[in-house]
Amino acid sequence: MAPAVLSLVVLGGYPLVFIALAAFTESSLGRPFQEFVGAATFESVLADGDATASLLRGVVYALLVAVVSVALGVATAVALWRSVRAGAVVRTLLLLPMITPPVVVGVLWKLVFTPSGGLVDTVLGAVIPGGATFSVLSHPVFAFLGVALADVWEWTPLIVLLVFAALIGQDAAITEAASLDGAHGFRLFRSITLPAIAGTVAAAFLIRLVLAFKVFDLVYVMTSGGPGQATTLPAYVIWQAALQQFDVGRAAAVTLLLAVVVTLVTLPVVAVTRRLHND
Amino acid sequence: MTSTRSPFGRRASGVAFVAGAAAVAMTLSACAGGAASGSNADGDFSGEELTVLLISSHEGASEWLSTEFEEKTGATINPVIVPYDEIGSKLALDQQSGANTIDVAAPWYVSLGDLAADGAIQDLTEWVDGNDALDVDDFIPSLWKPYSQVDGKTYGLPFDGDTHVLFYNREILARNGFDAPPATWDEYLEQTKTITENESADGVYGAAIFGQKSPLILGASFANRLAGFGGEFVDESGEPTINTPEAVAAAQALVDVNDYALPTPAETDFGAGNSAWFAGKVGFIENWTDLGVRSQDPESGSEVVDQWGVTFLPTGGGNTASRASLVAGFSWVIAANTQKTELAQEFIEWASSSEVNAKLLTELPPTGIDPNRLSSLEDETYGTEFPEIQEANRATLDGALAWPTGENATEAAQVLTDELAKLLAGEGGTAQETLDRVQAEWEDLLG
Repeated sequence: MAPAVLSLVVLGGYPLVFIALAAFTESSLGRPFQEFVGAATFESVLADGDATASLLRGVVYALLVAVVSVALGVATAVALWRSVRAGAVVRTLLLLPMITPPVVVGVLWKLVFTPSGGLVDTVLGAVIPGGATFSVLSHPVFAFLGVALADVWEWTPLIVLLVFAALIGQDAAITEAASLDGAHGFRLFRSITLPAIAGTVAAAFLIRLVLAFKVFDLVYVMTSGGPGQATTLPAYVIWQAALQQFDVGRAAAVTLLLAVVVTLVTLPVVAVTRRLHND
Repeated sequence: MTSTRSPFGRRASGVAFVAGAAAVAMTLSACAGGAASGSNADGDFSGEELTVLLISSHEGASEWLSTEFEEKTGATINPVIVPYDEIGSKLALDQQSGANTIDVAAPWYVSLGDLAADGAIQDLTEWVDGNDALDVDDFIPSLWKPYSQVDGKTYGLPFDGDTHVLFYNREILARNGFDAPPATWDEYLEQTKTITENESADGVYGAAIFGQKSPLILGASFANRLAGFGGEFVDESGEPTINTPEAVAAAQALVDVNDYALPTPAETDFGAGNSAWFAGKVGFIENWTDLGVRSQDPESGSEVVDQWGVTFLPTGGGNTASRASLVAGFSWVIAANTQKTELAQEFIEWASSSEVNAKLLTELPPTGIDPNRLSSLEDETYGTEFPEIQEANRATLDGALAWPTGENATEAAQVLTDELAKLLAGEGGTAQETLDRVQAEWEDLLG
């Protein structure tokens, strides 16, 4: 029990207490906890349209990335499961994006999207000769989707891994019995396989949601939060406040607000997950 | 029915909360260290070490400084190189955490006020005032105050002058019918537009505009225009003046050239912009004067040797006198908790001296250092090897536009940059509306 309590205090308690204290005090990078300011920092953050927009943007981003990642991840895992004997090499290759350092992923996708000689621009140039240069990361909507695509590419293998493990853990007798009863193809998947792995899929969705809320590296490397504020997500705002503006109090306030938002968004997912496991 | 075991059970709500908190938890520690100083009277520091924090652009200079200082004093310099936008936080965290691994640093001069307020750097007033050998009157006057002082106290010594000038590619201008570089921002826009319209199909553009969302990048591009239009960041009493007609015209000039610049300004950082310049793909680039040294060095990858020229920044509006813009600029500071204050003082006195600055100006491979002193600006070797750059640098002698440097100046610079990024992305309304918002925020931060 003692090690568990100690790890909880060290890993969870100390950072949360530090953040809470910083959020309610005037705290700079070099001098935290200078003076109690009550809720003034929260009021300032909530009155800042860019800060609140980043929280909302973070919700949209996380849901989008989580949904796409899980859809692709489940589809890929099922495909691998069906070709399980020939899939060892493919399974290993699929894990590569996940084990690639996030900064490298960001650089890679930035090169793909770069308007001067990037993959997207080159392909479009070949398809539409004489067309204007196309810059994904300079358009607010495309830049948002571009970062999301890189994120999906990086973390979908995690979903594949989790769902694939659930698939091979199924009771083969049930599947065989369903087949003997005439269930095949999509019907077998929908009626037998999907219910069996639904709890894992929901759990994977929750994990992916939290990972998406945390994204920083890709934004830092690919767009610096731009163009404009289009890709300024909460983690980037926190980094900017703490390490660029030396305003740890503001960073802590945004962090706590983000924690509330993440909790509100994930609670329904947790409820669904629990229900699926109880069924 | 068989189901897969899940980590989410009855206490799932609690898990969700912890997940949310853990997803965003920042781990910062709080403790502090003490200060002390060593002593050495004869200038021999053999066997001692000094850890010096520098930005990546100064890596070349750090190698030269390390070698020469060791030869002079016997002390070993350990350079720590970080990205340009991390040097301030690295120093502050090093001191605040009690790690105290840094003895000397060369941060962006705009961060001096915040570093001083955070107790991360030493007040050098007494030492500087009592040390005639520093010859502070020889520092370029327009640099001295912003690069060294906050609220009347001295916290740094100028290291890298870093003023922007306008470089142009003579061949590209000639191909497009221009026999002289622009004198005004309107002419600059016209020439940029013409070049892009004529040659963009071949990958050549009128200008590289540093527009990535960073104060040292996009903020610099705006500051160049603000200087040209005769505006100021703050007035003589330190009150923000960022929404004046001159400032609005400067922001609008940036918007106007956005569509004709190397694709795309929002993605153009130092690496992308400089690469295009060295490859001969852009007609204009606003850059530090040391770009000329690298442009003449084929070993640095330059394909524009003897093809370029340099001139003062254009002017605009009612202003007809070109003025330097102190967009970057770095100062030597001594870490608050260093145990080696005497050696640190010895180092920054030497490293900010006229002799060292003059050597760094013309050293190959290029060091990225610009003049910080009147005497080094007029150095004979510098004038002989780079007469055009020397002339362009003289713009700093007639007054220069400097960023605010007091407490919260770093945040103020970021606020301006964020708003300018929104303006360029079409999210910020008009230039006037954008700068009105900045003015309101600056009045809170700096007023």
